[in-house]
Amino acid sequence: MDSVTQIESRNRVQLIISAKSSGSGGRGSKLPGLPRAETQKRFTRALENAAIEVFEMMVGSPLCSSDQVTLPLVADYTSMIGLAGDICGVLSFRCSNKSAGQIAAKMLGTEERASAECTRDALGEICNMVAGAFKAQVTDIIDQCMLSVPMVVSGKDYQLYPLADGLRIQISKVFEGDLIWITLDLHGG
Amino acid sequence: MSPIRVLIVDDSSVMRKIVDRSLRQAGLEIKEVFEACNGVEALARMQQTRVDLILSDINMPTMDGLELVRQLQAVENAKGVPIVMITTEAGEAHVVQALSSGARGYIRKPFSADQIKERIFPLFQE
Repeated sequence: MDSVTQIESRNRVQLIISAKSSGSGGRGSKLPGLPRAETQKRFTRALENAAIEVFEMMVGSPLCSSDQVTLPLVADYTSMIGLAGDICGVLSFRCSNKSAGQIAAKMLGTEERASAECTRDALGEICNMVAGAFKAQVTDIIDQCMLSVPMVVSGKDYQLYPLADGLRIQISKVFEGDLIWITLDLHGG
Repeated sequence: MSPIRVLIVDDSSVMRKIVDRSLRQAGLEIKEVFEACNGVEALARMQQTRVDLILSDINMPTMDGLELVRQLQAVENAKGVPIVMITTEAGEAHVVQALSSGARGYIRKPFSADQIKERIFPLFQE
């Protein structure tokens, strides 16, 4: 498949996603010089706007609000992308098997169930575009930030341990009646 | 405007489909669409085929979009063909790099059919 890295969790695995690696020029994160609460608020709004924009434009299905922010213990699909530069961290997107299939089918413009390969490709692109749109929302406070190749994990039997020790921004939205979750774990502060 | 032949370069097959569909939704008359999943494949295609428009992602394995734009300068079939970058990397540095490499336009993902229309149509009216 394309350049999205894939992992299928047949056996129970632990994924340790480190956001501690240095960004461009060996620097760590440089979270904006705003008070932490202000940064959290600003980044949360940017992440929400990014997700809404991506789903409206590329999936063709609006996201609805949800108050349920708590991450699920299990999600059928998790896609992740790394950010490095003025901010370092990991953006992850989680959804159910049903949502993954619907997202892929809508992106492909078909009503048929997309193949597993296309589903992973679609979720990798969602993660990539949400991260890109997030960056575009905060260009006034972040100059340089590169994105990694996305990675997609399918299967439920795993746990994620992001080793970021900075901000955690977590949002949930409703897509076609089901919850989806987007998390941004940032290092430093 | 007569129907055009387009080369879409992106490592995501889903994204290639979306770009194709968006071009048609924007009202562009398409004669033929060619696809490539990286710069190397796109270069090989351009050695054999003449197209009217190239739309390329930047971040791709094997050969990225910026290198593709540079290498296309030496390809006879690509002379005068407008190249538009479609990418999530829409920072100022990337835009400057792409335009100075020879790209004629830049579209940030996510995009709408209207944005495609806005950026692509003028290229054929110049």
